[in-house]
This record gives sequence, C-alpha cells and structure tokens, in this order.
Amino acid sequence: MNNAGEFSVTTPTDRQIVMTRSFDAPRELVFEAWTKAEHVAQWWDPSGVPLTVCEIDLRVGGTFRWINIINGMESPFTGTYREIVPPERLVFSSGPESAATLIFSESSGKTTLKMILECASKEDRDALLQMRVDAGAARTLENLAAYLQQIG
Amino acid sequence: MEMEAHTDRLSLAFAALADPTRRAILARLASGEADVSELMKPFALSQPTISKHLMVLERAGLVVRGRDAQRRPRTLVAVPLKEVADWVEPFRRFWERKLSSLDDYLKVMQKKK
Repeated sequence: MNNAGEFSVTTPTDRQIVMTRSFDAPRELVFEAWTKAEHVAQWWDPSGVPLTVCEIDLRVGGTFRWINIINGMESPFTGTYREIVPPERLVFSSGPESAATLIFSESSGKTTLKMILECASKEDRDALLQMRVDAGAARTLENLAAYLQQIG
Repeated sequence: MEMEAHTDRLSLAFAALADPTRRAILARLASGEADVSELMKPFALSQPTISKHLMVLERAGLVVRGRDAQRRPRTLVAVPLKEVADWVEPFRRFWERKLSSLDDYLKVMQKKK
C-alpha cells in the first residue's frame, strides 16, 4: 500500500494504464466523492473551479457527464457505468476505446485507489497516454468559452 | 524555432525532443516507418508543418529518410530513447493534479462530518 499522497502510473501491458494513489479517508467516502455529482463538481477541476456541468446517473447503463466549459482546455469527461459495487468497485466505459476500473481498498482508515484503464488497442492506449485530444472537440469548447464570455 | 547556434548533436536532440508533436511523431515511427502523408493523419497538421518537424528530427539524427523516391519514408534511428516514462509526463501530471484535488476535497469532507 502506498503512503497517502504517493501517485504512480504504470503500463503493465500494451493496452493498460494503471494508476494508484492512497488517501487518508475511509473508502465509503472516497467512493462517494467519485459517485455523487455535488462532490465531483467540486474536485474534478484541480484549479478549484466547480464544474459547469456535472451529471451522474449512477446505475448500470447510466451515463455521467463532467464538463468544465470555462476552462475550455480540457475535453468533457463522459461515459457509461458498467459495474457499481459500493464501496469497493466502479467500472465505466469512456469512449469506444477504453474502460476504467476503479478499485477502492481500505486498511487502517486509509484508502488505496487503483485505476485500471483498459484500451482496445496499443494505439488507443498510447493515444490516451499522449493526451491526444480530439481536435474538433477542443475547438468546439474554445468557441463555446469565447461565446459565453461575449454574452455573459 | 531555429537552433542554428547549437552545433552539438546532444543539443539538437534535446531541442528536437522538446516539442510534444515531435515526440508523438517519434512514438508513431517506433511502430514502423511512415511517409509524410501517413504522419499527417494522426495530427490535424498541414504537410509543411509536419515536414518542418521531420527536418528538425532528421537534423538531430533521430530520424532518417528512406530511399524510395516517391514516398521518402522516415525511419526511427535506434537511439536509446528512454521508455514511455518521459512521454507519460503530461498524462501523469494531469491525473496527479486531479487526485491531489480529490485528496484536498476529502479533507474538507471529513472536517464537515
């Protein structure tokens, strides 16, 4: 188990990215932070700006949509829930190319979060690692941000 | 940016690697040779822009031009580049900041309870 605060990224296979981080909190709370819109809206953007859109339909087959329109630098994060097992496991697909499995394990009041991103191919995995944002989506967000500034 | 003043190979290589598009081109060439039109596909960049990047990479000795007069495929030179680790840096930073933000938020959540 990591010490709280240690963050690691590894690529154990050609198609995976695995990230691990520990938190000084019980896993019920960490799970809740990931699955309740009022919480996600507060922490998803590291700059501290609450999300403009934060929708969560927490059921198998339900979707989530997390968008920071003001920023415009980041693509919307959206997906569909595949497995929901509070407080230990959350699985969702995000785009056709990848699925994310979040495993929450607790020991002595500290939670270790393991995120396994599984891609359809090595190319998709590498594209994810290289942060290749869809150029169209990025431009749309920029335009929207500029428009909102004009009318705001 | 032209780095005409730097004549030593290492400086040229560092300058070549300092650009994320060029790193991505190298990543693509690691899977096999490609010509300019193939390299244009993954990036929404014009042919002159890709060619400019390739020129920088060739001058740094990281890429060589093939003999096929029509295609001029580029091949990655077997320079011992470090593993995926270096190119993961923006991705790593992206998630590190997010989970750090979650960490801060969890502290606030617990204070309130």
